[in-house]
Amino acid sequence: MTKKSFTLLLSSLLTFSMLTAACGNNNSGNEAAATKDPGTSGGNTTTAATTEPAPEPEKPTEIKIMLPLNTAETPPDTIKTELEKLTNTKLTYQFFPADTYEEKLNSSFATGSLPQVTYLKNQTTFVQMREAIKDGQFWEIGPYLSEFPNLNKLKPEILNNTKVDGKLYTLYIGRPLARQGIIYRKDWADKLGLQAPANVDELFAMAQAFTEKDPDGNGKKDTIGVVDRNELVYGAFKTISAWFGTPNTWGEKDGQLAPDFTFPQYIDTMDFFKKLRDGGYMNKDFAATSKTDAVNMFVSGKAGLYIGGSMQDIDTLNKDLIKNFPDAVLDTHSMVAGPDGKFAQWMIPGYNNVVLFPKSAVKDEAELKSILAFYDKMMTPEVSNLMYWGIEGTHYTVVDGKAKPTDDKELIEREVKGYKDSVIGESETNGMYQSYNVLPGRIHAEELLLENVKVGVADPTAALDSATYTSKGVELQQIITDATYNYIYGQLDKAGFEKEVESWKSRGGSAIIEEYNAVYKK
Amino acid sequence: MQDVTAQPGTVSKLKPKSYKSSSELKKRLWRNKYLYIMLIPGILFFVLFKYLPMYGLIISFQDYKPYQGITGSEWVGMEHFKRLFTEPDFLKILGNTLILFAMNILLYFPVPIILALMLNELRGSFFKRFFQTLVYLPHFMSWVIIVSITYVMVTMDGGIINELLSYFGFEQVNFLLNPGWFRPMYIIQIIWREAGWGTIIYLASIAAIDPGLYEAARMDGAGRIRQIWHITLPAIRSVIITLLILKIGSVLDLGFEHVYLMLNSMNRNVAEIIDTYVYTAGLRQGQFSYSTAIGFFKSIIGLIMVMSVNKLSKKMGEEGVY
Repeated sequence: MTKKSFTLLLSSLLTFSMLTAACGNNNSGNEAAATKDPGTSGGNTTTAATTEPAPEPEKPTEIKIMLPLNTAETPPDTIKTELEKLTNTKLTYQFFPADTYEEKLNSSFATGSLPQVTYLKNQTTFVQMREAIKDGQFWEIGPYLSEFPNLNKLKPEILNNTKVDGKLYTLYIGRPLARQGIIYRKDWADKLGLQAPANVDELFAMAQAFTEKDPDGNGKKDTIGVVDRNELVYGAFKTISAWFGTPNTWGEKDGQLAPDFTFPQYIDTMDFFKKLRDGGYMNKDFAATSKTDAVNMFVSGKAGLYIGGSMQDIDTLNKDLIKNFPDAVLDTHSMVAGPDGKFAQWMIPGYNNVVLFPKSAVKDEAELKSILAFYDKMMTPEVSNLMYWGIEGTHYTVVDGKAKPTDDKELIEREVKGYKDSVIGESETNGMYQSYNVLPGRIHAEELLLENVKVGVADPTAALDSATYTSKGVELQQIITDATYNYIYGQLDKAGFEKEVESWKSRGGSAIIEEYNAVYKK
Repeated sequence: MQDVTAQPGTVSKLKPKSYKSSSELKKRLWRNKYLYIMLIPGILFFVLFKYLPMYGLIISFQDYKPYQGITGSEWVGMEHFKRLFTEPDFLKILGNTLILFAMNILLYFPVPIILALMLNELRGSFFKRFFQTLVYLPHFMSWVIIVSITYVMVTMDGGIINELLSYFGFEQVNFLLNPGWFRPMYIIQIIWREAGWGTIIYLASIAAIDPGLYEAARMDGAGRIRQIWHITLPAIRSVIITLLILKIGSVLDLGFEHVYLMLNSMNRNVAEIIDTYVYTAGLRQGQFSYSTAIGFFKSIIGLIMVMSVNKLSKKMGEEGVY
């Protein structure tokens, strides 16, 4: 399969490059000329300008944007038309399905046909693009930011995480820094007289009680505590690991950066999971359980604790759970102290995607500035609300100064979702409405998100570069992931785990440690 | 009709018969023009999607960078192949691949033949059709669905098989995470999904056997088993060999999706195969050159295997595929 799809990729790449070699270049040349010299641009723009009641002094800027689409259909122009009016632009959105977006990105890149504005897909595609960025394929935007009052509001610490070699090339799409926590069955806890766990021991006790004390009251021992899945980072493991005091991916040890799995707290977390599994307080097959299966177990009332992922998921979990158990009550929690009594939460770098401006499409500084001006307008409350929430009255209403989405979820999915994922910044910086929540657990979650950041632990390597990590990191991490599961399942002891860590080091890990430390000290 | 006349090479290869004059050839070509026109999309398909992409194999000798393209990337010679062969897990991965392949040939390959013979013995066309449909339907389910069904059935967290085991007082078995169970589950899933589909060609070739042969055999007092052994099997022998060669041609294509879905941290030692390795080491990390090198290596093994089996079958007096 891989080989096939790879050949397909190659072949499409090749044919594409051949077919577009001549005409593609011509096209972009024409377009670039059109944008540079408004005099030659088609009748469309001129007529648009003349029909406006009060003709603007400037002609609309033409911008082509390529971005991943997380819904099945390309959205209609409802939002786009409004957006063009508000920002005085003529926009061409090229939506491509998120599932195959990486391939599209690679082939467009290889054929030099990236548009002026290119959204990546996630942090991973960004890491892969770093080499090309260093090679000078994209515009550095850092020096221009101060000219734009709204873009200048973007959070410096997150911008820092997106820098390549200390220079800024991207705008980021913001996400809460620390969304992780517990979603649990409050009705079960109340029935057994349990409070939200204040520390890891109480968390263990809750998992045990949910398993053994028949929380659903059907007289059968058919429930478990924690439900987890085959994912160490976005599942329960990393979140609990942070509570135990393990650093976020990399941490400082004797003045040197070292990977998280070389810290004793990592072993403690594995012991915690081993105890949970051996006792039957979590799903036994979690190393082979997919996210869908894990969610199913939770909403079918088999498990009481859903850990990891985002606490904001409570909305969807609750919707499905109360279909099966109308009396079920969910709540969120995240302040779980480690054995030393301290709180900690691991944080993501604060973005889930970034935007790049390819030099092949953006010809000069003036063009770059006109595009940045569009993004500057996007960061006003008016425009970001339009893109994130839709049109007021149609897609959402404002209640207590917050946005309450309409009940017609499909309308939002169809018309707004495509643009929603491309909004730069976050509500603190672009001034858009926060979401109006009704579910108490979700309201609690939003409070906890703010609390989490106060005890947040950042990944010190987020903005660092390691050539070995770029080429072999994923493959090497697999060794550690496998060893971690084998340890939890009792197939490896502590010495065996350390042997695997040594194997990680000898196959390239040592080089990664050296490379990170070399840039870290600078 | 330039296109038509442009393909005499193909024609003469398919029909190695000499024509007395070129005008006769032209006449024949003209007479069958529609057939040749219909051939064009097929040829275009192979040229576009099978032969042109081979040009891309070049990148396995380069340090390929998408923005520099094939012409601009740096040449590194056999670097990527060296990396593959010196990879500490290389032998393990190759071994796993070959074991799964051997299981495919030994355990799966005979099943459709046996199934076809059994279906053929069913008298009454209603039952025959009913069972045939029943056994080939699973072919239309995707691996995602089949692996999910397997998960639901065998999981230790309430799967029906483990529930039954403990109900009857047996120990629960960790089917999903125990490395020992990976291969049996892999081959059972393949047989369940593909065996019925595989019978189609065999049934068709059985249907083509002259019924007179069976009548004659019955006259001589041959029972059903003897009829199968002496008439049906020899009659479909060449089909079996052709299919075997084709199967061997796809030697290391064990179904990336299937294995990848079954793969987890606990059974990686037996479940990691070349395809899944290409995915984790190559594509997930954007190492196009390295993954192309691995794919290239795989294709070479496939080519060698096909050529040797083909030669073998010709020695045994069969036709082979080319």
